[in-house]
Amino acid sequence: MVESLPVDPDMLREQVQVKYREVALAPDGAYHFHTGRRLAARLGYETAAVDALPDRAVESFAGVGDPFQLRRLEPGERVVDVGSGAGFDSFIAAGQVGPDGHVVGIDMTPEMLEKARCTAAELGLDHVEFREGLAEQLPVDDQWADVVISNGVINLCADKQQVFGEIRRVLRPGGWLQFADIANGRPVPPEALRDIDLWTG
Amino acid sequence: MLEEAGFTDITIGEPVDTFGASSGEEKARSFEVYGYAFLARRR
Repeated sequence: MVESLPVDPDMLREQVQVKYREVALAPDGAYHFHTGRRLAARLGYETAAVDALPDRAVESFAGVGDPFQLRRLEPGERVVDVGSGAGFDSFIAAGQVGPDGHVVGIDMTPEMLEKARCTAAELGLDHVEFREGLAEQLPVDDQWADVVISNGVINLCADKQQVFGEIRRVLRPGGWLQFADIANGRPVPPEALRDIDLWTG
Repeated sequence: MLEEAGFTDITIGEPVDTFGASSGEEKARSFEVYGYAFLARRR
């Protein structure tokens, strides 16, 4: 374990993968967070964009905010979605950048990737692809992206500096990072930070 | 952390009650956890 990190990154990654495998396979299960269309409405996503997506694209959505709230993507932009899950934000992004843009969703959970790829095929979206990978080691060339998006993922990574470093590597100079994540207003005690169960729920 | 990582022009959106009415609400309230949108530009 990297000494300055509160938890073992590999152990945390395993637990996160277990949790989100469940969300992929049983999106209506009992979780400590909302999922799906109800969550998208709560977070303020554009209703028309969400309504246009099939259930498979939305039901496993488990984000924590709207990464498009502060900036709408521009047509033609190249986008990387870090921790794309079943593809919800990637599909929203695909609609905003249009067919001249390109969206690469990256996730570490095979069950999520399978759902995302099925949906992309169903929708006939040639400008969206999903790759298996980690937020700490993005399978994307240097400075390829105009924009990196992410939603509720970085808080689940033990080494956030490594993640932000990777995001910076794949962004072109002047490119945008637009993400949603949770933040706490009260300090979390050190013993709680070391409790890996609290990271995932 | 974002500035240290090489980002600038950082904007943070209004808090969203991400966990309200979910089973995680009580824990979220205890640490005042909310969702936020972040926007930053790579230097």
